[in-house]
Amino acid sequence: MKQRESDEVSRRHFLRATAGLALFSTSSCERVEDWLGLGPKEGPVVPPSGEGIDLISHVLNRTTFGPTPLEYARVKGLADTEEDAVAAFLDEQLNPDELEDKRAQRAVRRFEAIHAPLAEMYEYKEAFLLEQLTRATLVRATRSKRQLFEIMAHFWSDHLNIDVSKKECRWLKAADDREVVRKHALGKFSDLVRASALSPAMLWYLDGRENRMRDSSEKPNENYARELLELHTLGVGGGYTQKDVMEVARCFSGWTVRDKGRFYKGRVEFHSEAHDDGSKVVLGHEIASGGGEKDLDDVLEIVCEHPSTARHLAEKLCIRFLADEPSKASIDATAKVFSESGGDLCKTLRSVFETDEFLNGARGQKLKRPFEFIVSALRGTRAKVSSEMDLVDYLIRMGHAPFQYPTPDGYPDVASPWTGTLLWRWHFAIALSRNDVSKEIKINQDELIEKAGGVAGLAASLLGRIPSKEELAAMERTGESLALLLASPGFQWR
Amino acid sequence: MKGTGIISGNGDQQRTLVVVFLRGGADGLTLVPPVGNSEYYRVRPTLGVPEGDILKLGDANCGLNPAFSALYDIYKDGCLTVVPAVGSNDDTRSHFYAQDLMEHGGPVAGGWLGRFLRYRDGVPPSALSAIALGKAMPEVLRGAPAATVMESMDTFSLGSQSGPTDRLKEELGMLYGKDESILGPAARDTLQALERVEKLRREDLPPMNGAEYGDNSFSNGLRQAARLIRARVGLEAVSLDLEGWDSHFAQETLITPLMTRLSDGLAAFHRDLGKLMKKVTVVVMTEFGRRVAENSSFGTDHGRGGTMLVMGGTERGNVFGEMPELETGILVGPGDVPVKTDYREVLKPILTQHGAGGSMAEIFPVG
Repeated sequence: MKQRESDEVSRRHFLRATAGLALFSTSSCERVEDWLGLGPKEGPVVPPSGEGIDLISHVLNRTTFGPTPLEYARVKGLADTEEDAVAAFLDEQLNPDELEDKRAQRAVRRFEAIHAPLAEMYEYKEAFLLEQLTRATLVRATRSKRQLFEIMAHFWSDHLNIDVSKKECRWLKAADDREVVRKHALGKFSDLVRASALSPAMLWYLDGRENRMRDSSEKPNENYARELLELHTLGVGGGYTQKDVMEVARCFSGWTVRDKGRFYKGRVEFHSEAHDDGSKVVLGHEIASGGGEKDLDDVLEIVCEHPSTARHLAEKLCIRFLADEPSKASIDATAKVFSESGGDLCKTLRSVFETDEFLNGARGQKLKRPFEFIVSALRGTRAKVSSEMDLVDYLIRMGHAPFQYPTPDGYPDVASPWTGTLLWRWHFAIALSRNDVSKEIKINQDELIEKAGGVAGLAASLLGRIPSKEELAAMERTGESLALLLASPGFQWR
Repeated sequence: MKGTGIISGNGDQQRTLVVVFLRGGADGLTLVPPVGNSEYYRVRPTLGVPEGDILKLGDANCGLNPAFSALYDIYKDGCLTVVPAVGSNDDTRSHFYAQDLMEHGGPVAGGWLGRFLRYRDGVPPSALSAIALGKAMPEVLRGAPAATVMESMDTFSLGSQSGPTDRLKEELGMLYGKDESILGPAARDTLQALERVEKLRREDLPPMNGAEYGDNSFSNGLRQAARLIRARVGLEAVSLDLEGWDSHFAQETLITPLMTRLSDGLAAFHRDLGKLMKKVTVVVMTEFGRRVAENSSFGTDHGRGGTMLVMGGTERGNVFGEMPELETGILVGPGDVPVKTDYREVLKPILTQHGAGGSMAEIFPVG
């Protein structure tokens, strides 16, 4: 133990030193880029001018972590009509690899721990790893140009929830975020689920590692099998029985993760002697005996292609992007594309964005969850953030710190569970507008107002519409327009 | 808007659960010593609490340490339950693992108090539903839908760091007053809670019923909690720690003052709240008890079964379970008090009383 502590101390020192270097080089690089004229161009900012939320603001509200004044202007400039501009924007977002994103990538590179190979993650203190992962998540949400990708990473972190406070998830979640959630966020659903099934963090979180049948006296651990069917794929009421749960657990028996050995910890292995190799029936499909480790792929194929899975995922995506209670027509259309495309997530998302409900339905009717509220405020005010940890305090107060949801169902994605968070939203709004959050988080209010052509313009860029008479009068009366705006009902919705 | 409205998410129940964690592993055999047990004095020649000093709990085979005299009065009033030989099934005897397991409520993610707030019956909790008094969020509240770490009331005041904001509150009241979404009523609740906290801060009233709190952070925390409970801001869960129980060396000088602090603090809280104690439960817990035999530096080492105390609610004062014999064949591991009562069996009926409803399987998912 002593030896390890001293190792860690020296490693931390080294890290701190290199982190300092990285920070220095990052900022100097950015400056060079700016000198060469390669930095982002600051065009004129023309805020939204409709009485209701316009299409561009609506699409930015739903598919990003909130519009920035510059991004709004940029998207508007992509085509002559709003419809074409939005279509071009979504095309961009659905091909994230082709979107240049160097600034955000550089900003995240300094969080060295989250890039470490799996076995090396154990060398970090768990609190340090969580801090790095949380900060990286905030940086990406705030600064990445691949906003839809980040939104989907956020979505899958809930759908395949892992709470870092359970046992070795403290170390392994960072790898799950990288190798499961982010790797497949816009890929194929079945690849995502397979990566998750074999993710060391998931094997710890849902006890898959303890699912073994070495002899007939042992009973398989059903925890993962149940959540796979209930939460990850078919959904509650998706047509599976308790018998199916038990059969799936038998199929997965023998998969485990090493918890010992310096170089082997966290490694996922199949132990054939702990696998129940008899024949099974899963959702009506026979799986012959002797399948061994192949049973897992058979099960995943059956559940991923099941019509209930298409419906369950379609409903969750519609809840994310359309409404707390999306229409049956939207869900059906999305489920159809999900099935026909073999779980192609880009195609499925495109169909969500083509629904009448998305294009012509109610706007500003999805409550921003606390994370989305905070990030949208930072983006809308072009805040300069050099340390994100003070934001985490606010997130904890509002019960929405990333990777800290205790049960496997993930943070709720509808409004009602979040109504108790207003007090801390107001606190944050006031603190941000007064530059009181922390020394590391600063905004320039005068510049914001000036660039938006006045207080009404700033309101319009934050609300996606011109402010109402009441809003404008209230802003003027308080003398603290920005604080009131960010705290107002209008800014709580997306 | 003013006056007696109820803000709490748990509505008419308005109950508050206070969890006091004694960090470091408090020695159960000193807090709650066995009565009439010769083996106890044989293995604890210097640390055994003299039989004549033990505060007797009816005809139970254990009593209270004399440092708990203030708590003894509460016991006699029927408001204190004493649980000997209680603990978790963790046998690592590691502070970290044992605390973690007990705060999580099993080998699961998130804290049991956090899950209670998320899954209990009734409307969602308010912004001030859970408070950790101290500097950091404890594991027990991890995953709560709203939880605030605070050291003083100033934490809540809107914009208190840089000038008055009555104006902002007024305008927010106006804008949300016209809001027809679910945020409208939520905003009214929030403004009302804020107003009550502001009033508390302005008035800084002395404790009620002649209660006197000591000048230490534990007592001060309890005092803040009592004020918030009385102000009815929707407080449902409070967590606070009393640290320093890891008594490997010179145990008596180390933990006697702590026992006095615990006892006097809880007694002041009890007196301060008066009749409101019917809707308040205080649970005192620790990660494990300590080795039965004392070591050669007049201390004790990490053990298993420890002590829990429950104050308030509608429980009748009594002893839950009994002190096991301390003979070699009965002790576990290197000579530790066996765990006769799982801590969750003490918590479950309390949580039920506080409105857990049908959510016990979510609160304690394993076992």
